[in-house]
Amino acid sequence: MSRCLSVVLPVLLVLPVLAFAQSEPEVRPTPYAPDGRVNLDAAPGDKGFWNVMRGSVFGTGGTSLPTNLAFGEIPFQDWARDLYLYRQSRNGLDDPHARCFPAGGMRFFTVPNGLNIVDQPELDRMFFISGENRDWRRIAMEPGRQHPPEDEIIPSYFGDSIGWWEGETLVVDTVGFNERFWMIRGGLPHTRFLHLVERFTRLDYDTLRYEVTIDDTGAYTEPWSGGWLIPWQTVNYDNSPGGEIHEYFCHDNERDSEHFDQQEGR
Amino acid sequence: MRYRSLALSVLLLSAGPAAAHHSFSAQYDADQPVGLTGAVTKVEWNNPHVYFYIDVLNEETGRIESWAWEMGAPAVIQRSGWTRNSMKIGDLVTVEGSRAKNGDTHGNARSVILVRTGERLGAGSSQGVTP
Repeated sequence: MSRCLSVVLPVLLVLPVLAFAQSEPEVRPTPYAPDGRVNLDAAPGDKGFWNVMRGSVFGTGGTSLPTNLAFGEIPFQDWARDLYLYRQSRNGLDDPHARCFPAGGMRFFTVPNGLNIVDQPELDRMFFISGENRDWRRIAMEPGRQHPPEDEIIPSYFGDSIGWWEGETLVVDTVGFNERFWMIRGGLPHTRFLHLVERFTRLDYDTLRYEVTIDDTGAYTEPWSGGWLIPWQTVNYDNSPGGEIHEYFCHDNERDSEHFDQQEGR
Repeated sequence: MRYRSLALSVLLLSAGPAAAHHSFSAQYDADQPVGLTGAVTKVEWNNPHVYFYIDVLNEETGRIESWAWEMGAPAVIQRSGWTRNSMKIGDLVTVEGSRAKNGDTHGNARSVILVRTGERLGAGSSQGVTP
C-alpha cells in the first residue's frame, strides 16, 4: 500500500504542473532567413498569416501597446479633434472604407482577412499583401533610396514607401497620401502632409509589434506615436488547419452604400 | 508574459463579434431587436456580407413582407459552422438580430435557428465591435 502511495503521490503532485505547462503555449523563436535577416513571414515548410488587429494606435485596449497615448493626450489641432468627434457622433456613417474605398495608411494593418509579408532582397523590395480586397503595398528597399520630390508624387491611399532595417526592426517611411481615407475606423483625421514612420519588430514567431509615428503638421501640433501587437495565425478562417488567406472583395456584393444613402434621405 | 498570452487572448476574442468594413451602428439600431420566423427566398453567399431573404407574415397587416438579413463575410460565418448548404431556398428559419435604422425590412442577424434541425448558428454580427 505504502509502495503504491509512493508511486501515485508524486504523479498526483506532478499532474497539475504538467497541466499548467500544457496550458501555456510554447513561445516559438523569431525565424531568420539564411542571410541572417529577420523573416517577417512563414518559415520554410510552414503556413500562416498575420491576423486582424485587436488593438488601437491610442489607448491600451486589446493588444494595444502599454505605452500608447490616451485619447486626451493626442496632440490634435482643434479642427482635427472636432472632426474626429463629429465622425464619432455619426457612428462611422461617413467612413470611406464602409463604402469599400481602400484602407489607406496605417489602417492597412487594422482590417481583417490576413496579411503576408514578402521579402525580395535580391530585388531590393518588400511587399505587404493584404487579404482585404487583395490590396498590397510595395516597400522600396534600395540602400539610400529617397522619396521623389513632393511635386512628383501623385497622392494615393498607400503613398510612397521606402524601407530599411535597424537591427531586427524593419522601418518603413511613407509620404504622399491622399485625404480620401480614415486612418482608423474611428475616424482619426489626416491631411496631405501626413508622413508615417512604421516599425515592425517580430518579437517571437507568433507576435509582430507594429509601431507608427504620425507626423502631420496639417492635423496635429507635433508628431505622436502608438501601436499594437499583431498575432500570427496558422488556421484558415473557417478554423481548418492551414493558414492561408482567402479572397475578400468588399465591392463584390456591397449593399451598405445604398442603405447609408437611404438613411440620409439621398 | 504579456506576449505569451497573446495567442490565447486572440483565440478567445475570435469567438466574439466580427470586424466588418463598416461599424454596426452606422446602419443598425441595437435598440430595435427583432426576432422573426420565415421561409428563405434567396441566399447570397458573397463578400463583404452574406445576405439572405425571408418571407414573413406581418400579422398586423396580413401581408407577406420580404426581410433582408446581413451576416458576416462568408469566411467569418464559416468559423461559426456555416457551409454554403446550411440554408436552402424554402427552409424555415428563425432569425434574431437588430433592425436597420432606416426602418426598412432589413436587419443585421445575430443568430439563425434552422427550424428543420433546431440548430442555432452565429451570424458573424459586428454588433459590439468598437467603431
